[in-house]
Order: sequence, then structure tokens, then C-alpha cells
Amino acid sequence: MAATLKPYLNAVRHTLEAAMCLENFYSQRVERHLKPEVEMRSSKEVLFAPLEICRNDREKVLIEGSINSLRMSIAIKQADEIEKILCHKFMRFMMMRAENFFILRRKPLEGYDISFLITNYHTEQMYKHKLIDFIMEFMTEIDKEISEMKLCLNGRGRVCAVEYLKMFSPTVEWNVSEE
Amino acid sequence: MTTKTEQQLFVGPITSHAFNGALDKLVVSDNSTSVYVYAKQSNGKWTKETELQKHIERVKCVDWAPNTNRISTCAGDRNAYVWNLNAETGVWEPSLVLLRIERAATYIRWSPAEDRFAVGSGARLLSVCFYDNEHDWWVSKHIKKPIRSTILCVDWHPSNHILAIGSCDFKCRIFSAALKETNDKPEISGWMPKLSKFSALLAEYETQGWVHSVKFSPSGDRLAWAAHDASINIVHMDSKDSVIRSLTPSLPLLSIIWASEGSVVCAGHDNYPSLYNINGDTLSAGTRLDVKEKKAGGGMSAMARFQQLDRTGADTKDSTLGTTHQNAIVELRVTATGGDGTCTQFSSVGMDGKMVLWNLDALASSIADLKI
Repeated sequence: MAATLKPYLNAVRHTLEAAMCLENFYSQRVERHLKPEVEMRSSKEVLFAPLEICRNDREKVLIEGSINSLRMSIAIKQADEIEKILCHKFMRFMMMRAENFFILRRKPLEGYDISFLITNYHTEQMYKHKLIDFIMEFMTEIDKEISEMKLCLNGRGRVCAVEYLKMFSPTVEWNVSEE
Repeated sequence: MTTKTEQQLFVGPITSHAFNGALDKLVVSDNSTSVYVYAKQSNGKWTKETELQKHIERVKCVDWAPNTNRISTCAGDRNAYVWNLNAETGVWEPSLVLLRIERAATYIRWSPAEDRFAVGSGARLLSVCFYDNEHDWWVSKHIKKPIRSTILCVDWHPSNHILAIGSCDFKCRIFSAALKETNDKPEISGWMPKLSKFSALLAEYETQGWVHSVKFSPSGDRLAWAAHDASINIVHMDSKDSVIRSLTPSLPLLSIIWASEGSVVCAGHDNYPSLYNINGDTLSAGTRLDVKEKKAGGGMSAMARFQQLDRTGADTKDSTLGTTHQNAIVELRVTATGGDGTCTQFSSVGMDGKMVLWNLDALASSIADLKI
């Protein structure tokens, strides 16, 4: 399991390094417009072929690039129902605060859990290698975080259940009068 | 002599720059609607002299005609202006250019004779503009077919009537720009084997990526272009079908200049310039011109390291890169040439807001096996 992690992250990192070569590009379709071409998808020649990097059938990354923007969508491993709910809530929490994240997209792509949209503005204002470091760290940490949350959840659930069910267990109370 | 002098001009990216003939003035555009003229002070630093404000969208490209002392700028607002220096007031005055394009202007270059300039645009056409004495404005003629996408770069041949265009449709093309209006008398040359009129396609080359930069060699015999597939392509006019193509191991290159007839300097998303030599049919592996200077003194103390780990979660403080430019290099310009025409100094501007002047002769002595 762990053997596939390193090559997977390596492949994602190298693809991001290549795809993050962005520059300012005025729209060819509408005058004076400057929009991320990967979202507008108006001119085929400025878009890259989308690249999907799969670790297994459930964990994968889709990287779509263009001349001035890059969209990266991550499908996170969700083994059971609880992880699905936790992942969904966690991603939703972050995506609602997408303005503060700058590179986060408010809605993930179909079939993925979270999407990043990086434009030439971001690479102009921030270090490219640091952006990549951030995304790689995000990918490595997210599994750990969800597992931790699941453990916490299970732990709390167990404690609550024990306390609650203590009420219904037979009381060991000897009847003094019987003696 | 130092190998390079750098100066942080802006906080944000520099989109374009050009020097005047005497190399004591610089016109530069940051990522805004203004263009600034900088003057070189006696201590070698450049300070802001004037601001040229007329565009209403971001200025994409600037150029300075050294002999006639005119600045041309083009922006995303579909306009280009030619600025003339008023000798009495010392103010740069814009004059109207009728580009007749429907989309943003992306690139502008004066021709070698400085009687015309070419403007590439997102409208998939090139405007060659020349002066109309009658109405005191600049009028344009379009080169349209067969360009299919935004033009990213243009370069003039020394003969003044041939130009090369690199565009987003992955092709590099050479056109004839001989204008009847300016009484051009084009001659047959290697690029133009028979007399062709304006906008005749002379050659077309295909690559796997958007063509970011195209340059004729100083004599005009060779043409080099850099594309987004991280390749450098060179063709000689006598053997137009055989293109010397070198896939570099670096990230895509954004700008390419000729250091001599047989070597090119290029730079791009890898943040450092490198030199490539033409050996017959091949291009040699590039020597990196940005040599990291080893920092004197040791690393951080253990205490500082733990403090850093506590504060930021990473135990190394340095997030700066080992190269002079901290972000992609956008444009290279030859600033000084030696006696035999080889480049002795060139400048680079980047998306980190820095302008660096590189001295090739000092670099040649400091880097082993660097041949120009």
C-alpha cells in the first residue's frame, strides 16, 4: 500500500511543475476579457490534454492545464460510509471558505472531492515551488486527517454509548429487607 | 567585472522592457496600464524618470526604436501607441496608431529601419504599421492567413521586409512584409527566393507547443524559436527543410536571443538563462549561466531550527530559490555587442519584478567550458 504512495506523489508533483508554467493571456473570443482558459474552454489550442494519475480505482488526481490556468481535482480514498461523510463535510468546510484559500475552487468537479484552480495571478504573486509544496502536503495529510477524525469519532461514539447504556444494565443492588 | 547586476524594479511582475540606443534609459511595463521610463544613474542603479499613461488595459509589450528615439507600447485594450519625445518639454507624447484589431494586442516590435513596426494580436492577425504623413497617424496592413491563433511573438529580419511570427497554433511562420506604400524594393534572398508581395507566406514550421519566442540571427541567415514543448528549434535559410531541434530538459523557454551567429541564450520558466551552441547539425547541451554563489557561513543553530519548526512547521527558513530570478524570466534583450558582433551583455526581466544585466564575457571566464 505504502509502496504506491511515493511514485504517485512524484508523478503528481512533476506534472504540476510542468503544468504550472502559466502566463497572462487575453481571451481570443471576447475582447478585453481575461478569464482562466481551463474554465472557459473556448479555444482548443490553448488547452492541454487532461491527465489523470490514479493510485488505485478510488484515489486519483485529474490535472487539466491551459496557457493561463491549471485545474487540479483530487478524489480522496473513502473506504466506508463514515469516511465518506467525514470527507464530504471536511471538503465542504474548506470550499465554503475558498476565498481565503485563493487557489481553491468553490465546487469540485464531477466525480472528485476537491478542486484547485491556479491561475497566472497566483503564480505571479506566490512562489510556484511553494504552491506545489502546499498541494503535495495537502494530499499527504488529508488521508491522515480523515483517519484521525474517524478514530476520534469512533472513540467518542464508544464513550457515549457506554455511558448511555449504563442506565439500562441490571443494577447490582441487594434487597436489604429480604434478609 | 561582475558577472551580473540585478535590481528589483517592482514588487509584481515585469511584462516587458526595452533600452534606448545609448543604453542609459529603459522603458519597462509592470503588470498594469502604465509604462515607466527609467534612467540610469551614475552608480549604475536605475531610477524612475517618467510615467507614460494612456492605455486602459494591461500593457503587454514595449519596444524602443534606438535611432529615431521612439517608444511603442501595446496593450490588451486593442490599442498601440507610438511615443515621441518632445525635445523642448521633455515629455513623451503619444500618437495614434490605427491597428484595426478586435482583440488584445500581444507583441510589438520596430523594424530594423524603424519606419514600421509589427503588432501581434489575439485577433489572430498581425498588423504592420507605417506612418501616414498626410494624416499624421500610423496606419496598418494586416497579415491574416493562415494564422489560426493568438500571435505570441514577432521578429524582423535585418532586411526590413521579412518577418517571423510565432503563435499559439504551434507554428512558426515567415512572411514577406514588403509594403508598396513605403516604396520597398525587396531583393531575392535565401528566405525569399522569388519576389513576394505583402503577407506572402515564405516558410512554415510546426512544433508541439505554443511558440513563445522567435529570433533571427544577427545576419538574418538563421531563425531560432522556442516552443512550449521545451524545445529550441533552429533553421538555416539555405536548408529550410532541416530544422535543428533540441528538446531541453528544462521547463518551457519563454525568450531566446542570439549571442553570436552560432549560439543562443534562452530563458524561461526555469528562472535561469542558459547558453546553447550550434555544432553542425546539433545543438549542444546548454550551460547554465546563473551560477549559484555558495553562501558563506553555516546553517541555523539548533535553537533557531526548533523555533522555526514550532512557528511554521518546517525547519528550514529559506523559501527563496537558488537562482537570481525568483520567478520565470519573461524577456531577454541584447544590450551590448562586442567588436565582432557577439553579445557581451544581455538583460533579463522576470515575473519576480527583477531586472538583471548579465555580462557574458565575465561569465565566460568564470564558467568553465563556456563558448560563445
